[in-house]
Amino acid sequence: MKRNRFWNWFWVFISLLYFFIPLYATFDFSLKARKGELSLLAYQQMIEDPRILRSLIFSTQIGVLTILLGLLLMVPTVYWVRLKAPRLRPVVEFISLLPFVVPAIVLVFGLIRVYSGGIFALTNTYVGTNFLLIAGYVIIGLPYLYRSIDAGMSAIDVVTLTEAAQSLGANWGTIMFRVIVPNLRSAMLGAAFLTLAIVLGEFTLATFLVGLKAFGPVIWQVGQNRAYEASALVIISFLITWILMGLINFVGRRGAEGSIAAGPR
Amino acid sequence: MSNNKFEMASGETHPKPSSPRKLSLSFSWVGVVPFILFAFMFLILPSMSLFVGSFQDSKGNFTLANIQGLFTPFILNAYWVTIRISLTTALMGGVIGFFLAYALVTGGMPSWVRSSLMTFCGVASNFAGVPLAQAFIFTLGRVGLLTVFLREVFGLDLYERGFNLYSYWGLSVTYLYFQLPLMVLVITPAIEGLRREWREAAENLGATPVQYWWHVGLPVLMPSLLGSMILLFGNSFGAYATALSLTGGLINLVTILIGSQIKGDVLHNPNLGYALALGMVVVMAVMMSIYYALRRRSEYWLKK
Amino acid sequence: MSFLILENISKVFPTAIGVKQFDLAVEKGEFVSFLGPSGCGKTTTLRMIAGFETPTTGRIILNGVDITDKAPNQRNVGMVFQSYALFPNMTVAQNIGFGLRIRKEPEHKIKERVAEMLALIHLEEKGDSFPHQLSGGQQQRVALARALAIRPQVLLLDEPLSALDAKIRVALRSEIRAIQRELGITAIYVTHDQEEALSISDRIVVMHDGRIEQVGTPFEIYNFPQTNFVASFVGTLNTADAEVLDPEKGLISVDGVQFISADRNLKSRKKGEKVRMSIRPERFSFASDVRKDNVLDCTIENITFLGAVVRIQVKIGNTSFSMDTFNNPFLELPKIGDRNQVTCSREAVLILGD
Repeated sequence: MKRNRFWNWFWVFISLLYFFIPLYATFDFSLKARKGELSLLAYQQMIEDPRILRSLIFSTQIGVLTILLGLLLMVPTVYWVRLKAPRLRPVVEFISLLPFVVPAIVLVFGLIRVYSGGIFALTNTYVGTNFLLIAGYVIIGLPYLYRSIDAGMSAIDVVTLTEAAQSLGANWGTIMFRVIVPNLRSAMLGAAFLTLAIVLGEFTLATFLVGLKAFGPVIWQVGQNRAYEASALVIISFLITWILMGLINFVGRRGAEGSIAAGPR
Repeated sequence: MSNNKFEMASGETHPKPSSPRKLSLSFSWVGVVPFILFAFMFLILPSMSLFVGSFQDSKGNFTLANIQGLFTPFILNAYWVTIRISLTTALMGGVIGFFLAYALVTGGMPSWVRSSLMTFCGVASNFAGVPLAQAFIFTLGRVGLLTVFLREVFGLDLYERGFNLYSYWGLSVTYLYFQLPLMVLVITPAIEGLRREWREAAENLGATPVQYWWHVGLPVLMPSLLGSMILLFGNSFGAYATALSLTGGLINLVTILIGSQIKGDVLHNPNLGYALALGMVVVMAVMMSIYYALRRRSEYWLKK
Repeated sequence: MSFLILENISKVFPTAIGVKQFDLAVEKGEFVSFLGPSGCGKTTTLRMIAGFETPTTGRIILNGVDITDKAPNQRNVGMVFQSYALFPNMTVAQNIGFGLRIRKEPEHKIKERVAEMLALIHLEEKGDSFPHQLSGGQQQRVALARALAIRPQVLLLDEPLSALDAKIRVALRSEIRAIQRELGITAIYVTHDQEEALSISDRIVVMHDGRIEQVGTPFEIYNFPQTNFVASFVGTLNTADAEVLDPEKGLISVDGVQFISADRNLKSRKKGEKVRMSIRPERFSFASDVRKDNVLDCTIENITFLGAVVRIQVKIGNTSFSMDTFNNPFLELPKIGDRNQVTCSREAVLILGD
């Protein structure tokens, strides 16, 4: 048994090394923007670059809209399935897993082919493409969204709660907004932060639908031209992801770990 | 399911709205219509249109020429490389991830080590694409920190020895950064599902730890292990941003090929592009079916 | 020399003391129960015999051999777990044969032994089923067979019936006892259910807070509890504070009401000393039947009809006592508020030690 301890620490150590070194290398590089000395010049330039801030804001907005649309779609659906149509549950679950079969690059290919009316618009209100982008993100996040909401509803036993509320005379609106949704807060927040993390970093859909308006493609472009700024961006985007993941853990129960990745349970 | 005051139609066991109306099967579909409609419009329809397009020629007539066109050396090679790299990273990520997850779950680590590594795995599994590729360029690129460090401190010149970040193996090492954490996250619940009493019962009956693993531990974990590695395969198979950022199209991957096709008609036959996409979906569908079957199996056993 | 000896065993955990000063000698073929509430150390002690915990002090000697430092897979003791712990990836037959397979017994011998065990637990047709296809009771029987298949020197059972329904529990515990008798195997049985322990054990070790409170046959434990804890944990018991009036004659006063007790514990007390007295409910009877040493006036406070037993709460003086009588359909039950007389022998009045 004592021998095992060594191997455990070995794996942990090797993994830590592997995870840490690229981050350190990037961070180290980002401090070398000014020749010969360590400085935060790269970060300064990054903050002053209008493209970056603009695209970050844009992607955040898209992310928030994705969350709203996703929750609006999934919460009533999962609730309905649990309450009135349990037999449809395998169907809904199956559909929620379908996005895994269609990689992002294929999805965007198909979206463009079907909805190409939307992308060649040259006006400033790219409403059509933005909506397409949001819809695409909802699809990509569907498995995690479904799992999160479903697990949350299971944990609070929606069926019994609904029956209790009904027996006390509540109507559907009251049940939904005063009973169900408040109890789903942590599941919804967890799903929200995860969606935001996915959207902020996403490249494939963004680059073909909206190009340099989104954060992901901008990171790419900066990487092509300005290495120091790019390294600062990498560190910042990593920090943002870290904060979002931390928030998920903070908000959710233990099941949050499993809901980040699609797998058994 | 529920002992309900409101009486129901035959066979139905769903609770009712405030008005005690009968709820027939056809009515129960209504609530999932928005969901199904949305999935249809933005997932199924696009996929179907690609599917249809791959069987059409430029005039819209039915043809199998595009499917045949997949079997040219160039495209077959693209599939082969993509599959190879997915298998490689799935196996590497799977094995290392398993040992790491096992160490974290059963290794008697202090709880802060476990929880911070778990959180980190959540971060790292989402930290893919462009930033990841760039981070690795800063690490293992020609003038990357680690490259330089190894050369100056250990006299080990990676690039002299044939290593190249912008190659198959370089990409694999990069992919590992999100494959490994994904494996850890996915396999941890399964490892936790291995009950301590099984191990004790086996020991009590005379088994050594190795015998326990061989007869009980691994067989019980196998469906989850395989299922997780399939997930890793799918993850790698569909990766686009990382590959593009790191190798800029140098390596012949199906995703890169499709991407180029979207940007401009590089295949000189748009329908061939659709066939490419179809091919990807077919591979993924096969993998996901196997995954689904494996998952049912493991839930079956681990439930009791 | 006894078959299984636990000598000066103790187990100290970082946050608490699990077992203190445990000494026990078990004879071959004996069925001994460890009885006590959760956290009393009974499971810890069992696990030390199995080898899953190492004693902080003391030795464990099995059949003359000191096994204290032996690994769990070297001890040849068979363990039955509360959660059955059947290997889910193996059939019933494979589970039962597992220990023999590890010992590399020849295949035909394993088959024979598995068939033997299946017959013993009356599950001959279930050999090819998987654990999740069986009920809880069936799974536990398979777990028992699996532990017995390796011909262990001792059979250890860790609350094997706690996870089962009440009816199955009663049936299965007799079955376990019958099998144990038939095979003549030494068994240690951990439980928190005192009825279970009383019904199937040769001897009971009552534990509390890591210590042994009393060791004895079920009869001894029930009728002559030596400590407060044993008296209140095993069976129902009336207890009350009393003052010693005359140690020689055995007179005590419970809030003014005089009782005569034959308990030897009294001899060492002084007049005026405060003690704790106890009487089993079934030792009371109505004075109209037979008059015994103690005849006490009482008022009927409450009557609970339990089926075979009628539990009557009577107030003697200022103290309430519980009295159990057998149900008699031809006798009218007393009414609440009635005045009556109850009686009990002097041997029934126990003085609790500490």
